[in-house]
Parts: sequence; C-alpha cells; structure tokens
Amino acid sequence: MRGLLKRWSFWCLMILVLAALFGNRLFDAPPGAEVAAAFSKPLWLDRTLPPTLELALTPEKPSLELDWTYGSPSRFSLRVETAHSAPDRFVEWRIPDREEPFRLTPLRTGTELDGRDISFKRSLGLPPFGDASSALFPARGAYSLSVSGEGDWQGSVTIRLEGGRWGLLGTDQRGRDIAALFTAGIRVSLLVGIFATLLATILGTSLGLAAGYAGGWADSIIMRVVDLLLSIPLLPILMALAALWGKGLWQLILILSVFSWMGTARTIRALALTLRDAPYIEGLRGLGARTGYILRRHLLPETLPVLLATMTLGVPGAILSEAGLSFLGLSDPRVISWGRMLHEAQSFGAFTAGAWWMLLPPGFGIALLCLVFLDLGKYLEERVDPRLRGGGPS
Amino acid sequence: MIEIRNLSVTYSRMTGEGGNASADAVRDVSLAIEKGRLFALAGESGSGKSTVLMAIPGLLPRGTKISGQILLDGKDLLSMKEDELNRIRWRRVALVPQGAMNSFTPVITVGRHVEEVLSVHLGLSKRDSAGRILSLFALAGLDGALASRYPHELSGGQKQRAAIALALACEPGYLLCDEPTTALDVITQQGIITTLKRLSDEKGVGILLVSHDLPLAASAASKLYIMKDGALVEEGDPRTIAAHPRNPHTKALVNALLELEEDPS
Amino acid sequence: MTALLDIRDLTVTFPGRRRQESVTALSSLSLSLEKGESLSIIGESGSGKTTLIRAILGHVQPSGGSLRLFGTDVTLASDDEMTDLRRRCAMVSQDPYGSLPPTLTVLDAVLEPWLIVRGRDTRKEAEKRARELLEELGLGDKDILSSRVRLSLSGGQRQRVAIARALILGPELLLCDEPTSMQDASTRGEIIRILQRRQQAGMSMIFVTHDLFLARKAALRGIVLHRGVLVEEGLCRDFLAAPKHPYTRALVAALPRLGKPTPAEGSGLPTI
Repeated sequence: MRGLLKRWSFWCLMILVLAALFGNRLFDAPPGAEVAAAFSKPLWLDRTLPPTLELALTPEKPSLELDWTYGSPSRFSLRVETAHSAPDRFVEWRIPDREEPFRLTPLRTGTELDGRDISFKRSLGLPPFGDASSALFPARGAYSLSVSGEGDWQGSVTIRLEGGRWGLLGTDQRGRDIAALFTAGIRVSLLVGIFATLLATILGTSLGLAAGYAGGWADSIIMRVVDLLLSIPLLPILMALAALWGKGLWQLILILSVFSWMGTARTIRALALTLRDAPYIEGLRGLGARTGYILRRHLLPETLPVLLATMTLGVPGAILSEAGLSFLGLSDPRVISWGRMLHEAQSFGAFTAGAWWMLLPPGFGIALLCLVFLDLGKYLEERVDPRLRGGGPS
Repeated sequence: MIEIRNLSVTYSRMTGEGGNASADAVRDVSLAIEKGRLFALAGESGSGKSTVLMAIPGLLPRGTKISGQILLDGKDLLSMKEDELNRIRWRRVALVPQGAMNSFTPVITVGRHVEEVLSVHLGLSKRDSAGRILSLFALAGLDGALASRYPHELSGGQKQRAAIALALACEPGYLLCDEPTTALDVITQQGIITTLKRLSDEKGVGILLVSHDLPLAASAASKLYIMKDGALVEEGDPRTIAAHPRNPHTKALVNALLELEEDPS
Repeated sequence: MTALLDIRDLTVTFPGRRRQESVTALSSLSLSLEKGESLSIIGESGSGKTTLIRAILGHVQPSGGSLRLFGTDVTLASDDEMTDLRRRCAMVSQDPYGSLPPTLTVLDAVLEPWLIVRGRDTRKEAEKRARELLEELGLGDKDILSSRVRLSLSGGQRQRVAIARALILGPELLLCDEPTSMQDASTRGEIIRILQRRQQAGMSMIFVTHDLFLARKAALRGIVLHRGVLVEEGLCRDFLAAPKHPYTRALVAALPRLGKPTPAEGSGLPTI
C-alpha cells in the first residue's frame, strides 16, 4: 500500500479530514454566527472597500489613531462596558479637517449604539435618515478615538466598523463567514459520502452473496428487486422520499443507501457464482462445512479487494446526490452542507448581488472531494486487477 | 537459418509494492534453427525457454533488456525497427503461441480466422482465399469441411491444428511452436508431432518446438536443446543426451524418466 | 468381506443441451476395489474418468447400475450419510489452482479439512499433524507455512500443499485425478513416491491418468477407459508389455519415450 502515499488524493483527503475535525477551531466564531455585513467580499478581492474592523479602547490604551484609506464603512456600532459610570467623560471621535470632535456617548455602563439608531444620529446632529457612518467617515485621512477628560477610568470601549470585506472567502446573505461554512461543510459531505456508500456496500454484498451462492428462488427474487430498484429514476424518488420522511441528515443517508446497493450486488453475485463452483469450495461442501462458514471464511475475503475499490468509486455518487438534494432545498436547513450553501446562494440572491465567492467555494469543494475519491478508487482498482506488472512467459 | 548468439534477457518486473526487481530470464544462450529440420527446446517451467522463443519475433514486453543477436539469414532481428519486424512476422517467421488453441475469437469460424490473416498479410480477396484455406487445412491435417465450424465446436486437437494452419498462412520459412501439445491427449499429441515433422520434411519449414515434456521433445526432434534456470545446459542429438547427459540436473531427470519407462518386474 | 468400492454396470448419461444429443459419459462400467488396494484408471479426455470420480463421491447421479462405497449404496444415501462417506475419502485433482483456497495461509489450508470434520478443539493435534505432513512433503520451512497460498508458491509447491490437505484426515480412499500432469518431471517423481508411502501404510488409491508409465508406477491393477467404456482390464504392466485392445495398443504406440524410439510415420528423421 505504499503506493497510496504517493497519490495526491490521499494527502488531499487527509487534509480534508483534519479540516473537518479541527478546522473550525481556526475561526473565532461558530460557523453559523453572523460576523460581518451580508455579501461582504473576501479581503483580497477589492481593496478599495473598507474591511470590517474592531477598535478597542482600554484604560491602558485610552486613545487610538487610525489612518483611514477607504470609503466609509457600511455600518458603525459602539459598545461601552464600565464598572461605574462617569457621565462627565465622553468617547470622542476626531475626523480630519474638523477641529471639534464628535461626542459619541458618555461613559455609561452597558451602552450599545448602532450607526442606524435615530437617537444617536440626532445627538450628533446628523439627519435622521441615512447611516451615521458616512458622516463619521467623510474622507480619507487621519481619525482618532479617545476618551475625554483626565484621570483613570475603568472598562472598555469597542467600536465595530463593518466594511465590505471580510475573511478569506467573504460572507453570505446573512453575514456568515463562508470560509467557516466551507470548513463545516466538509464534515457533512464526508459523512454522507462515506456512510451512505458503506451502508449500500454492506447491503449489496450481503444480498449479492446470498443471491450468487444460494441460487434458486432466492437469487431470482433478489435479482428482480434489483431490476425494480434500478428502473426507478433516482432523483425524483429521492425528492419524493425526502418530502415524505423529512429532511434529516440520517434519513438522507438511509435513503441514498437504499437506492445505491444494486450495482455492488450484481458484481458480488457474479463473483459468488464463479467461486461457488471452485473445486475447493465443492470439496468443503462435501465435507459438510456449513454455508455460513464458507461465505464468511472464503467468499467474503475474496470479494474484499473488489469491494474496497467499488466503494471508493461510489462515494462521489453519494456526495453528488446529497449536494443535489440540498441544492433543491430538500435537506435539513440546520445542517451546513456545501449543497445547502449553493441552495442559499441561489435562493437568496447571490447572483444578483454578484457574490460569486458564495458559489465557487462549495462548488469547487464538491468537485475536489469527488476527484479525490475517484483517484483513490482508480488506484485501488488497479491494485486489485494488476495489469501492468512487467515480466513474461518463462 | 535463424541463429541466436549470446542472447540474454532481463525482465523488469514491477512488484506489488511499487519497487523494481529484475529477473534474469535468459543468460547467454546460443542456438540455431535450420530449414527442413525440427529442433526442440526443452526445460522446466521458469527455465526461460518460452522467453527465447518469444524473443525471436520480437514479442517480449516493452522495457525488457535484451542483449545479443538473433540473425535471420544474416540480418539481426534485435536491431530491426518495428515496421521491418512486422513484415517478417507471419510471413517469414510464424508463431504458434502457448494456448493458441484457446485464443480463437469465439464468434467467427476458424475458416474466417484464416481468411482474415490472408487478407491482412497477403491482400487476398475472399474468393482467392477459399482454395488457399483448404490447402492450409490439409497441411495441418484438418478436414476442409471444418473451416465452417466455430472454435467451440472443435476438439482440442483440431483447434491446435487450426492454429498451425493459421501460422502457415503466408508460407513462412520458420515455425515457432510454444507447447503445442500440452493439455492434449497422448494420441492427439502424436498426431500433431507427426504433422509438424511432415511440415519440416516435405515443406522444408524450419521448426523450433518448445516443450516441458522431455520425452516428447526428444522423440520429435533431430536436435535437442535443454535449458535450466535461463542457461543452456545440454545440446545435441537426443539419443546421445539420453545416453550420456552432461549436466547433473539433466542426468537426474533422464535417470528418473528412464526408470519410469522400465518395467519394474 | 465387503469391498471398499463395488461398482456394477454403472451408466451415467447427461441430458443434451439445446441442439446436442444426450452424452453418455459412462456405459455399463464394473469394477471393484478391496481395502488397501490401488487401481489405476487410464483414460484420455472424454473417456469418462472424471465422471467416474465424481460419481464415486456422489456428485453425479448415475442413470443405471449400482455404486457401493464402503458398503453403502451412493444413489440411496442421505445427505448426512454422503457427508460421512466423503469424509473418509479425499481427492487430489489436476489443477492445484482451483483446489486450494487462495486467501488462507499454507498451514491453515492444510488444517481446514480437519477443523471442519473434527471441530476446533483438536487444533493442537491438527497442527502437529499438518506440520509433519508438510515437512515430509518438503514444505516445512516457516516462511512457506505462513505465506498465503495465493502468492509466491510455484505450481509444484501448490500441488504438494493440495496433497497435504487431502492427507491430513488420513483418508481410507484417495482419489487422484491427473495429479502430476501440470507438474515438472522432477516434482512428478516426488509426488508418486509420497503416494506410494501411504499405499504401503494401507491407504487405498484410485489413480486416474493418461500416462501408462505413471499408471504402472501408481498401482498394480488398472483399467483402460475409452469413451465411457471399459476396454481392457488387468495388470498395468501387461498393458504396456502386451496390450490387447486396439485402443490400448494405439495409446502405447503414441507414448513418447526417452529410452526407446517412437515409431514415427514416414519421417526420415533419426529416432533414438
């Protein structure tokens, strides 16, 4: 199996698994949390837009200078936390080309202000409609934030400026970090892909072995069931079942397995048919070995190499089915998956907003995961069926 | 005459772990095939005899290291380019490979097989081939009526003869046979050997017969080569080898075989 | 004393498939074998020899005649009775590739019949027996014992493993169907010797082959089968020295010999 270590897909898969398990620790907020303005672009995309920033004042650091080179942020919010209020002291905001600083708020406990509050705007002398941010950030230049008055004060002042940019992959329509969502989505795709295929393989192998080895009416019945299930178109039936049984993740896995075991069953059945007549199997039967023993000790190990390859190649199918169903909106909305991300992108106006960063990552993710399993499956298949092994007749 | 001089063959085997292990199949073998005579190359499985045979028409797998010379009437086959070799294959040097009798396409008749060879290599039309097919079958000892049968309808011996007829399609000067009688009944075997002897006697074809059956090879050939572990260990008149084998292994083998043939009473 | 094997007028016919007529594999065959005796069956493909072996083991239903194995009529035996009978026999067939389970190790492959028949509690004893057998067959090496059958074993080694697997239960009757035809000449002699040792210890054997020399080495008595019919019976060495039936004569004439010339037809080649 050392050849496995040389495949790019193996390492890619390891990275994805690690990301699925630990990836979300890289982010401060949980994946579903709102972190910035909706449809924020990725940081690296448009440098003219302001990024989302948080500025903080503490007693140790009571003033802050800021060199602002962008346009005005989309939103402005402020938060004051202090042990005891000092109403004679204010949070001051100096803008370029203006002597007089804005007095944003006195230092009172638990103050939370938002740039859209009408009372806040009135206190600054701004018109009641429109965002305060454009007045507070009129031009490029040097700005400063400070606490007026002398002496110590306690607590903290935090200003949050929401720009049009956030993070590695921007945000979606609800302001959620797409990079965090992407990382969280790996888990679902891997889970569904692997478990659905695993269940389908177990089901297919048992039925295939039973049909091939037992023969007779068991074989006929199982094969007719296979034919029946194969003739049902997959997506419509999945849609119908999802509508009937609910949209949970495990229901999805179950439904997917019930409709994808047939190919494996056929392959395993063919294998069992050839093995059944092998001389040593006949000899074992003659000695009185029980069917269960023969299946377990001989037929099953013979089928394992084929199974591994078939299973790996079946995973992309499951991933795509899940993605497809989620895209159509038939998955659990509480569960973050790449297909769901695509669904929300499409339903909530990513196209009109031009937010391509919402579409590319999940789409790319699905394609990448499928390619990884296809490559691994191809490698395993080659190992089972050794073609190019050099050498010749003796 | 086909003359093999100092032939050495090393296969590059790709082992399951992705490593590369070389296997010396043939080491410094020299032998000759003369027109009008039937020579045999005998040896156990793994001795390299099939490799020597397959080296002649250049049918060893790619990546195999070959050194030495194989001279066909003076020209070295090992240094020829593929298209030149293609003109020699089947037309001047024909091969009946191991398991030929099981290598027929099951969906066309044996006659049609010969027809295709004649069409591809000699450009003969269907009409012209008909007579040729009958004479080829006769040469191989087959009833002409069998040409319209499918491979599965023929017995093992008949299929082997059909394979010989196929090989003779372009009237080659040399015929290479790899285990043509294995898996056939003793009486059928004798028939095939007789046919091959007749071909070399009457048609002047130079035949090299490869077999693991030493008594068979010895009784069929006018000159016997014996290989073991890639090297040539005996060569000469079969009768002489049977009476005075030089190599200790051959000696043990000959003794065992002679002991088997003696009446224990 | 009841014969070990008693066959009278056995006929086996297979119904024809599609356009073909039915095939008579065996026609009115009679033979008998006493305990401790061996018999060679000389026949080529199509002679019915494989059908005969399969009929003895109860895998094929006769269309006529009777077959008694260890005194029990095989056609009337129940499944359990048949299993008991089969446990007292063993078979070595021509192809060592189909007769060994590829996924087991050599040791496990030899142990398997014992474990199935005698149960797993006697494993220690079984292992001892297996190791002794394999040692005798020249396969006692530790690496070989633990290597999987599928890999690395040569044809000759496999056949020897198959023989060990057949001998582990100490069968009363050993059926050999061309056990040496796929082997090199060097292994052939060894295999015959091993079988002869067992015969001397009292095992009965039926040895099927197309090679008259081997038949003579394997057993004193023999029968010649041709197209399902017994054409000659007697001592094997008489078949070679003085064949009576024309088929036997043709067989003897066609045998390639190292020591004596083959009467080749119309060839001017020097013969040995």
